[in-house]
Amino acid sequence: MNTYYAANLLIYAGIDMIACLALNLQFGVSGIVNFSFIVFQAVGAYAAAILSLPPDTANSGFQHYVGGLQLPFPIPWIGGAVAGGLLAIPVGFVVLRKLRSDYQAIALLVLSVIANTVITNADNFLGGAAGLALVPPPFSDRIDPNTESYQYLYIGITAVAVVIAFALVNRVVNSPYGRSLRAMREREIAAASIGKNPVNLKMTIFIVGGVIAGLSGAILVGYIQLWAPSVWLYPETIILFAAIIVGGRGNNIGAILGALLVPVGFEEVTRLLNSNPNIANLGPPNLISALQWVAIGLLILGFLWFRPQGVRPESRRVFEGGPD
Amino acid sequence: MRGFERFKLVAALGALVVLAACGGGGSTGGSGLGSGPLLVGVIAPFTGADAALGPAYYAACLAAAPSINNNGGVGGRQVSCQKFDTRGEPADAVPAANAMIAGNSNLMAVIGCTSDEASTVVPIIDRAHIPMFCMTGQTEFNKTTSKYFHRLVPADIYDAYAMVGSALYGPGHAPYKRAALVFGNDIGSQAFVAPATNAFTKLGGTIAINQPINLTPGTSYQTEVAAMLATHPDVILTEALGAAGTYLKEVKTQNGGQMIPFIGTSATIDPTWFQQVRDAIGVDDLVKYYGGVDLGYTFSGPAYDEFQTNLNAAASTFADAPKYKQRGSTLHLYDGIIMTALAMTETNSADPTVYNPKIKEIANGSSGATVVGTYKDGVAAIKAGKSIQFVGAGGLNSFDAYNNSVSGYIWVTYDSQGNEVKAGQMTPQQTATIAQAGGI
Amino acid sequence: MSLFVAAFGFGLVSMSVIAIAAVGFTMQFGITNMINLAYGEVMISSAYVAYYMNRAGVSIWIGMVAGALFGAAFSFLLNRVVYAPFMRKGTANLGMVIVSLAVSLMISNLLLPIVGYYSVSYQEDAGRLIRLGSIILTRDQIIVIGIAVVLMFAIHALLTYTRLGKAMRATAANPTLARNCGIPTQRVIDSVWLITGALCGLAGVVAALNADSFAIANGSAFLITILAAAVLGGAGQPYGAMIGAVLIGLITELSAAAWSPEYKEVVAFGILVIVMVLRPQGLLAKRGALAAAG
Repeated sequence: MNTYYAANLLIYAGIDMIACLALNLQFGVSGIVNFSFIVFQAVGAYAAAILSLPPDTANSGFQHYVGGLQLPFPIPWIGGAVAGGLLAIPVGFVVLRKLRSDYQAIALLVLSVIANTVITNADNFLGGAAGLALVPPPFSDRIDPNTESYQYLYIGITAVAVVIAFALVNRVVNSPYGRSLRAMREREIAAASIGKNPVNLKMTIFIVGGVIAGLSGAILVGYIQLWAPSVWLYPETIILFAAIIVGGRGNNIGAILGALLVPVGFEEVTRLLNSNPNIANLGPPNLISALQWVAIGLLILGFLWFRPQGVRPESRRVFEGGPD
Repeated sequence: MRGFERFKLVAALGALVVLAACGGGGSTGGSGLGSGPLLVGVIAPFTGADAALGPAYYAACLAAAPSINNNGGVGGRQVSCQKFDTRGEPADAVPAANAMIAGNSNLMAVIGCTSDEASTVVPIIDRAHIPMFCMTGQTEFNKTTSKYFHRLVPADIYDAYAMVGSALYGPGHAPYKRAALVFGNDIGSQAFVAPATNAFTKLGGTIAINQPINLTPGTSYQTEVAAMLATHPDVILTEALGAAGTYLKEVKTQNGGQMIPFIGTSATIDPTWFQQVRDAIGVDDLVKYYGGVDLGYTFSGPAYDEFQTNLNAAASTFADAPKYKQRGSTLHLYDGIIMTALAMTETNSADPTVYNPKIKEIANGSSGATVVGTYKDGVAAIKAGKSIQFVGAGGLNSFDAYNNSVSGYIWVTYDSQGNEVKAGQMTPQQTATIAQAGGI
Repeated sequence: MSLFVAAFGFGLVSMSVIAIAAVGFTMQFGITNMINLAYGEVMISSAYVAYYMNRAGVSIWIGMVAGALFGAAFSFLLNRVVYAPFMRKGTANLGMVIVSLAVSLMISNLLLPIVGYYSVSYQEDAGRLIRLGSIILTRDQIIVIGIAVVLMFAIHALLTYTRLGKAMRATAANPTLARNCGIPTQRVIDSVWLITGALCGLAGVVAALNADSFAIANGSAFLITILAAAVLGGAGQPYGAMIGAVLIGLITELSAAAWSPEYKEVVAFGILVIVMVLRPQGLLAKRGALAAAG
């Protein structure tokens, strides 16, 4: 274990925690099944990238994109967060109708596939299939990103982002908004009858979730310095949903737990298994990686069957009962 | 011992120590090769959309290891291979690369790093000072500053020029006038369009249609083919990995059973591509109408023979390995591993910062160097105090200042068994004309 | 202009393939209330069954029947072993969607090490090219259109004239009431899974035949198109699914002729999004997607 790998794991853990907090806000708290979640993270990453990249004539002009404003930290991260929030507005508009939740879900799934196809084919907009490369990480003009001290710096700013996201999400969940939403989730008609407007509430929460999701994208692109459509295919959303289900829907600690167990823990365990030559050479070359997905499927089914409330259930503040 | 005697002894000892510590380019010096096994990391997609790439590189390592290990290893150290799956996307490639480096202090070289992830993993491997042989044609690496990056495959634009050359000067046909460009919308393919268009049009041809196609699985290309046929091209220039069979079959069908000549990039020299297109349009039409471009491999000679023997033997670990016997990337990566081993032997060092610069020297050779084709011969020449140039299974390499190696292209076709057959070659003037028209 | 006519012809083929699949999918949803996201994987599994038979020398038309039988059995088992137990446990609609997603992940990844990543094709001579004006279709494509038409009529006949069909419609409308009226809902549901599973399997083989070459990844790609057609027509409405299939099939091919072919699917899905904004329950549905809590 060296510094770079440890830093990688910590930073990814931070990013996944932020993403899960955002998804928990959208799905766990306000009940919107956002099967296009990964697009929000992607939009934040793209926004942060085009804000921090130099104009596309740089580096011998091998890639083509809009923007290229070369702005310093923290503007790209703020830009990414804002972009995520902005995307939530039209998407929320389309799906926040009186639609069955499973219907919403598949509509958003289709949307995320469309978005990926469009960006892949629009060559000069965001780099097309190759995406955006050589994205300058934060403070790269002052500290060389390829040093150990930079890793500590990046862990630091990621940690600050996690704390901010957590604080924000906690405030929302414990605010009157949050209480109204939980009331609505339990008994929508009753909540409506005392004047709570579910659509507005849901939209607000959806936007806040989008903001946080966009932030997670900005942090990720700053670290890996490359963003392409292959990073945000729709199965990524499924992994995050698995995290929420395993960790515990509707509460923030559960979201963080889920982030540590599924995207980070599970994937790294698979990587470890794959690095053992005895295991890696069993059967066809891709066996272990394919089985990882089978295991994620089993994990989801297992939790939905035995413990649908997740590892850390939401602490009930209302009476038991109601559909969930 | 008297004072003066002791002084002379100490001085002699001191001199010996200094001499031993002086590295230099000979077989003395260096801090020794160490002990324990050595690892070659294969970092590439083994799952996901580009899962077909990883196994070809893994096969290269499986063939290279016995070539080294059966001939004394690297100073007795045995080389082994390990896969590191990037899943074809950068966010997974980063932890794969970091884990690879963190978990293995005996990494001697890294092979793979395709266009899907090269931009992110090259800096990671570079900062760990491990020599890498990357399979990416991306333009951004044409002038890279990474000292540890080596590219044995040419940038995509050279492929495009060779294809244009085949269309204009190729054997067995008059120069084609109208070309249809049918490339997929993935990362690797779109880089061909602009250079091919520039070169072909400046030299008097017309691009009948530029048709980027969606490589989503399950797409049928009926309308696309109809649109393409309506422009009446003489020839189709294509790389559409995974969709080639479907598209070409549709061309044949809609054209009343008559195939149109088609020219493929070097990536179409691939057993999977051959099988898909053969199943789609039949082996006769494939042999008759296909033209490909490839680097000038001879597929013969002692270097290639050893490669092929070991590749076949690797079938016990990896059943598909023998299929890659004519795959350019497999050949080049095999050579890269052997050159690394020779560099370690020549510098007598297991420290990559010491042996990395040697790799380029061994490839390019200095004047008076002995040309060797196998690891065994190389080690023998080094022991005899000679400097060497390695010309391996993939042929001559010539690294420029940016560690890119470009060797000549040839035109090829397939025979009915799927073996590559040389059909012709561009003359240096033709190459220069096209390169100038295309603009490098 | 002739390109558009040709594209129209291709659209007919496209819509036939989608229709067979979408009708099965939407019936599953309408009668059992299950959005079965593993539908695409069942399709592709059936396609592979037909492929192995085809490699052993069996004609693809028999392979199609085999694929349909396999799809029926697979879907039936899927319901009995996974979906029904979760439903009995009271899992909410959304939970069932996630269950079906998990199942689809598992199926595709269990198949992967077996069949590999590489594309394969059927050995089938598509037959003579038949020209009707500017429309160019092969004999096989015309047969596929014929199969789709026959099946649509068969489904219509099933639902309108047979006891089973009426029982299905009753169960779809109100399961409790249907049971109280003496309709054996368990058997009806089993029949639904068998019949729609057969449609699913058949659709898989037909789609693979039409695509000339296929791999595991086709399953999830095709699912998106089926979802679009089903949602467009109104989820749970078989006739809606047929209309949805017609629209998506035609619009896809015509837009490929009119604009850049890369975006042809995007245009079709764009239509879907517009419909969802303007009429979220789909073209034909009276209710179904619009429900209170869910």
